[in-house]
Amino acid sequence: MEALALSLVNAVPLMAGVPLWTVTLLLMVVVAAVILVFALTFEGVGSLVLRKVAGDIQARIGPNRVGPNGILQFLADGVKLVLKEDLIPANADRLLFKLAPYFAFVGSFAAFVVVPFGVGLIAADLNIGIYYVMAVTSLVVIGVLLAGWSSNNKWALLGGMRAAAQIVSYEIPVGMALIPAVLIAGSLSLQDIVRSQGGLFGIFGWNLFHNPFTFFSFFLYFTAAQAETNQTPFDLPEAESELVSGYNVEYSGIRFGLFFLSEFGDMFIVATLATACFLGGWNIPFFNAGTLPWIWGNLLSLGVFLGKAFTMVLIMMWVRWTLPRLRVDQLMRMAWKYLVPLTFVNLLGVSLWLLVFKGKGIPAMIASLFG
Amino acid sequence: MTTRANALPTQEMTINMGPQHPSTHGVLRVILTTDGEVVTRAVPDVGYLHRGLEKIGERVTYSQFMPFTDRLDYLAAMNCNCAWAWAVEKLAKIEVPERAEFLRVIVSELNRISSHLIAFGSYTADMGAFTPFLYAIREREQVNDLFEMLCGNRLTYNYARVGGVSGDAPKGFLEKTKEFLDYFEPKLDEYNNLISYNKIFVHRLANVAVIPAEEAVAYGLTGPNLRGSGVPFDLRKDEPYSVYPKFDFKVCVGTGERGTLGDCFDRYMVRINEMRESIKIVRQAVAQIPDGPVLAKVPRVFKPPVGEVYFRSECPRGETGIYLISDGSVNPYRLKIRTGSFVSMNIFEKVTRGLMIADVVAVIGSFDIILPEIDR
Amino acid sequence: MGLMAYLNDIVEAVVTTAKGMRITARYGVNPKEEVTLQYPEERWEIPEGYRGFLHNDIKTCTACTMCVKTCPVDCISLESVRGADKRMVLASYDINIGRCMYCGLCVEVCPPKSLKHTSGYEMASVTRGEMTLHFIAEDAAEVKARVARQVAEAAAKAAEAAKAAEAQAAAKPADLSSEAGKAGGGEPKPAKEGESKE
Repeated sequence: MEALALSLVNAVPLMAGVPLWTVTLLLMVVVAAVILVFALTFEGVGSLVLRKVAGDIQARIGPNRVGPNGILQFLADGVKLVLKEDLIPANADRLLFKLAPYFAFVGSFAAFVVVPFGVGLIAADLNIGIYYVMAVTSLVVIGVLLAGWSSNNKWALLGGMRAAAQIVSYEIPVGMALIPAVLIAGSLSLQDIVRSQGGLFGIFGWNLFHNPFTFFSFFLYFTAAQAETNQTPFDLPEAESELVSGYNVEYSGIRFGLFFLSEFGDMFIVATLATACFLGGWNIPFFNAGTLPWIWGNLLSLGVFLGKAFTMVLIMMWVRWTLPRLRVDQLMRMAWKYLVPLTFVNLLGVSLWLLVFKGKGIPAMIASLFG
Repeated sequence: MTTRANALPTQEMTINMGPQHPSTHGVLRVILTTDGEVVTRAVPDVGYLHRGLEKIGERVTYSQFMPFTDRLDYLAAMNCNCAWAWAVEKLAKIEVPERAEFLRVIVSELNRISSHLIAFGSYTADMGAFTPFLYAIREREQVNDLFEMLCGNRLTYNYARVGGVSGDAPKGFLEKTKEFLDYFEPKLDEYNNLISYNKIFVHRLANVAVIPAEEAVAYGLTGPNLRGSGVPFDLRKDEPYSVYPKFDFKVCVGTGERGTLGDCFDRYMVRINEMRESIKIVRQAVAQIPDGPVLAKVPRVFKPPVGEVYFRSECPRGETGIYLISDGSVNPYRLKIRTGSFVSMNIFEKVTRGLMIADVVAVIGSFDIILPEIDR
Repeated sequence: MGLMAYLNDIVEAVVTTAKGMRITARYGVNPKEEVTLQYPEERWEIPEGYRGFLHNDIKTCTACTMCVKTCPVDCISLESVRGADKRMVLASYDINIGRCMYCGLCVEVCPPKSLKHTSGYEMASVTRGEMTLHFIAEDAAEVKARVARQVAEAAAKAAEAAKAAEAQAAAKPADLSSEAGKAGGGEPKPAKEGESKE
């Protein structure tokens, strides 16, 4: 960000007298606004796509009245939520009740900072990228717990407790499943991880095909991530048919809207992490995106990245509409007795592989066979 | 509930799974006392849909009561219509033409299929898989189309009459029924592949709320709830009425295939298998139906002889028994309806002890209750 | 739990999930599977015999009140007065379609078959008053007054005719038997005409 600010100050003579920190700050605000707009648009369109996909799978048409083919449905929903009455239950803890949606939203939105959209398109290429994402998405737990507690409603409390237990438990397999990618790239920074999957192998340069353990850990990551975002089969905290919408049962209007949006934001973050760590990120097959002219490199890599991320989101929706819901004890059992041991074994396997084969993946070994 | 002597003192929570709840299949209120997630006591509180049907029966005539039986169990309205008609005919010893009996069996079994479809669909929706519900509704709409062609209505049919049925099948009805059966039979395999044997679904249902056979009989359960515990009692075979002896079909019994015998999964599979058997019955009925009149001669002002009768028929939710006392006038003196769903509420408290809240939802769905039947 | 059972669990979960996902994918990508009827642009074809709203053909209705007696929820109400030709004239005929349960019992018992079901099902309204269908446009009191006048006129005519007949009878006692015979032959005609109208 500082480098960009410096180059901007040097390029534009009008800004010569402005101190650097002001320009940097302004730039950060602009970038944040751009990402916010993108995030909100994606979350809105995501809710519409969810309903359309649900309609297709369920042998019916989804929303199709607002706008051509229902495209503007999310705007109508947004307006409706804004116009709704803002209810706060009588004996609810007012401060916590109002605070909770913001925690959930910040938890999902702050992770957008390190998402590598393209070759040069990243808000902040932190050298602790993945670590930062794991830390910041934990804020969602606080938001959900606050919502469940402050609603003064036993159903909300149950939902909040379940959500806290679930999200905290599944963070371990998520983290463990992402570590193989870190080990292969040798860095926590997401841009480095993506660059390490580039090169002449095209699709086979992806971490997915690096060795059988990373192949496995992709699916483990995807399962654990489905739980992190409260999607069926892990949607107990908001089980519509049991807890009547769980922790957000007492929320109405735009407060509910924030919870709802942050769920889609979480889905996107999870999809982008999967893309960046396992599916090659923004790498264009057989090209080195850095060599292309600035505009084309960024546009093409952005397109590739978004394509892969949206495909992952669609797959999450597909799984959501197929499977029933796990009961809470089965959920915890699955996390601690299945996913955690499997991810540990995976991690061990990847470490041993990298040690024995000196960091070379299967495609690299096959290529070296042919010279 | 805590056995750790020096643990933190805990308190039980009383939660109201209120009359308005997405999963209670109607306005059922369950007062749950839980220790965290584990239920220590679940007391059902019924009566939110009581409309005084039995009292209404004392004020209207025998033929005027027929539309009220539609509303007794609106998902299996044909079965309830026919039950009332058979009860009155048993009392007054009326001979029903054979074509009418065949038509009654056809519509009863088609309605059994559509009722079990809703049971299947809403159960999977309660469990979180929203898709099979819509597939079930799509199939059910076709059954509704058949009934609309036959009697003019899609939910409250008022088709049976004392002495027969209200109208003959129009041209093309039997062919359309056969088409529907051919379309529907492979769908059952699709449902099994999609959801019935899905590991998550099986885990939610297996070993939950096991009801041993003796207990099921002792508590008076009937229908698929009883057969799910392994008791092969089906009124259509054990106390045959109408023209059921002419058809060849199996009695579907729970087998404990994925858990213990008598758990929720068994009751669920009994309903899926019963749909298959109903398809068989309807095929045979459509093939064997004779020609003839569809309504016997019953006097306009109908006064049955003085007496009392208890008639029970196999409705999708269990045994619907009608106890009818006549005093010779145009109105019944007293009628009492015994329904399978009401009796299932007896065992509800016992069976939900020690289950988790999510399992309470599974139990309600596995009993396939419907509130108009419970509350009348 | 042994290792084999553990691995078996995992494999079974993956296999059954994949089976389910294949079925939903097939529905997802096939647009012909969508069964939604886009109401109100597309409408369901109502079959014959559909039990929609009730309609009474006033001209053929004989005000026999069979429908009123048969209705289980008492949603039909009618008022009638005896007219000049000894037949009932409808003063008002109301059906409360909000109360009606569309059971069809009234249509079954109607002797002249004037009460029928239509295929209408769209009459959403915001007030209860709109839910009562009035089949007689005139006010009931007006109809009754009109009929009363007709009856009075007919009675007056009959009285005059009777007086004239008496006067003639007094003048020609010899033709009394033939006139009585003509009168006797003439009377059944209106009744027969009435029957054929039914």
